[in-house]
Amino acid sequence: MKAVVVENLKYRYPSTERLALDSVSFEVEQGEFIGIIGKNLAGKSTLCEALVGLVPHFYKGAYGGRVVVDGVEVLSSDVSELARHIGIVFQNPFTQVTAAKLTVYEEVAFGLENFGFERSEMVDRIDYVLKLLGLYEYKDRNPFELSGGQMQRLAIASIIAMKPSIIVLDEPTSQLDPLGSEEVFKAVQSLSKEGITIIMVEQKMEKIAQYADKVMLMNEGRVIDFGAPEKVFSRSDLETYGVEPPVFTSIAKRLNIKDNDTGLYPVTLEQMRRLMISEPHRS
Amino acid sequence: MARALSLYVEADTFVQKLDPMVKLLYILIAILIPFVILPFRWVGAVFILLSCVLLLYAKVFPRVLPLLGFSFLILISIVIIQGLFMPGNKTPAVEIFGLTFYKEGLLYALTLCIRVLDVLLAFALLVLTTRPSDLIQSLVKRGLSPRFGYVLSSALQVIPQMMSQVDSIMDAQRSRGLETEGSLWVRLKAFIPLIGPVVMSSLLETRERAMALEVRGFSASGKKTFLYEREPLVLDKILQWALIASLVISLVARFTVL
Amino acid sequence: MNKKSMWSFSFSTPVLVLIPVAVGINYVGKLFAQVLRLPLWLDSIGTVIASMLSGPIVGAISGAINNIIYGLTMDPISFVYALTSAAIGLTVGIMAYRGRINNLWRAVVVGLVVALVAAVVSTPLNVIFWGGQTGNVWGDALYAYLIAHGVPVWLSSFLDELVVDLPDKVATVIIAFLIFVSLPKRLVQMYEGEEALEKLD
Repeated sequence: MKAVVVENLKYRYPSTERLALDSVSFEVEQGEFIGIIGKNLAGKSTLCEALVGLVPHFYKGAYGGRVVVDGVEVLSSDVSELARHIGIVFQNPFTQVTAAKLTVYEEVAFGLENFGFERSEMVDRIDYVLKLLGLYEYKDRNPFELSGGQMQRLAIASIIAMKPSIIVLDEPTSQLDPLGSEEVFKAVQSLSKEGITIIMVEQKMEKIAQYADKVMLMNEGRVIDFGAPEKVFSRSDLETYGVEPPVFTSIAKRLNIKDNDTGLYPVTLEQMRRLMISEPHRS
Repeated sequence: MARALSLYVEADTFVQKLDPMVKLLYILIAILIPFVILPFRWVGAVFILLSCVLLLYAKVFPRVLPLLGFSFLILISIVIIQGLFMPGNKTPAVEIFGLTFYKEGLLYALTLCIRVLDVLLAFALLVLTTRPSDLIQSLVKRGLSPRFGYVLSSALQVIPQMMSQVDSIMDAQRSRGLETEGSLWVRLKAFIPLIGPVVMSSLLETRERAMALEVRGFSASGKKTFLYEREPLVLDKILQWALIASLVISLVARFTVL
Repeated sequence: MNKKSMWSFSFSTPVLVLIPVAVGINYVGKLFAQVLRLPLWLDSIGTVIASMLSGPIVGAISGAINNIIYGLTMDPISFVYALTSAAIGLTVGIMAYRGRINNLWRAVVVGLVVALVAAVVSTPLNVIFWGGQTGNVWGDALYAYLIAHGVPVWLSSFLDELVVDLPDKVATVIIAFLIFVSLPKRLVQMYEGEEALEKLD
């Protein structure tokens, strides 16, 4: 079974004219790490919301096409039901705390209480996710007393506790300082190692190049390209979509360091070094 | 940073351990009996005494005084105004600074003081010895919608969170040249630029918080569970029946003896 | 777009998130009024905004919860005045629904009506608890003058409350209105509209 199947998805927010998503189709395999890139209003956040069912169930509006997540059809399900299959982490860590729980430990329990889990099961899962995300030592803190990076990891922990097989992250580090961002990237990496399918919108292209198995380039609600990072970042028209390639790709393009078999540029330092050792470049 | 609002005082007595619902029942009875069923000053005084004993036993009595502070000034002014001006005043009682206080007005003021103290102390017993989160959880267990339980818990967290922004907003707006001192008009004009930012940002955040709750099963159908469960005490039941008995006895007294 | 029924008791998640924020706004308003030493309370701005956004029921609940929380954490007597706060929310919600509060003049009218309603609801509570006083220096001075001149307690108490409420509630509704009109359309829509899902193919 595919983790995600999207077929000809179209969507328009209520009281707007423009399609926020236009004829979007793609598939994601289980365990893959997908990076989504594109400029503002390209439809990245809307796509994320469509995967977890907030589009259309929370917003309403006009909807066409089909999204199937972990075997569940989004349109005929609801957001709560989908939460057991797919989770989402938003930009602002502050708005994602429930604002009703007094400790980190209870905050993680919120989702589990809503689904009626037994107490012993809750305790097992909370202990596990807090340790996985390095938050166990803060378990008795008030969530509002955490740093931005810790709060964002708490948001991830609260989602992971419900054991979704897919997690969507919509620019989870855009409001964090460098230290907090690094904490979150490490956390996401450890989830990926656990076998969880990751779909992440991110502006830091170096990170996408480093972690993603595949990259999706979006513009004006459409998918422009979807494939290996080397393929997407080697496009010569990237700038027209408001995307800067990773710094190593830019350097490689300027120095004309590329893989002779595929004609693609490297996207990480590691790849660049390998290319330079195996075949001396011709410049 | 701000903590949740609460007047709860940690202490290890049976009053703290009691089911919050029993304390709510006590408030109900402390209002019903002396206000409605047996409206005599001495009945109110008995409840005041009882509340004081319980507050002392629960080791929270010193915390009652700040609570009384709010009402204390009004009570004093009630004694003065009713003692001097109540329409039914006939019998002069005392004369202070050439002002005549009347017996009828002073007795009426005493009735009001007893009522206010009775209500205040009964509520103090609840709020000083109960964690708000425990109170909300026991209400939810007794059938309050968990979605409403969320609203109450969240208010306790969101209020201090928003209040904690007040100082930094004051500083920021002053440094941009906003005048916050001076004539009434100047101070009145400063109100909107001060309250605007915190109100706007907190209203804008409601959309994303609502989504974050939704994706954590907030609207899930089916039975919810609780991370922490309170062990029921034998004492809960005993006191509950004792309170109900006192209500019945006072009703009987009302319609037979009197 | 169809508006939801004014008396709907179905609370969407955004509405449930709005109520604590409305109460928080009440608190912040009260705090700023104190810091600026204004002779007004300004402690129901959030209740009024909630009513404008989501109608009378949500406004009334915001008002009541405001006093329940205040009673639990500051002053237990506040519980009793939950009735007044709820009435304020109800009044604004109904008036906003009947005719949009779309200019400053309408806001002033709503403020006057709210003051009247608040005084009517508070007066019996003031009489039961405080023999008719409000605890406000100016109002109570008027009250003392009136009963000393043979005006009945109920009327004196009502006027005591009204002189305090008139400027306060008019200012409150004006401030709430100014904030309400500067909210983004998409947010307002989330609270007032009941949209239907449309098919696209």
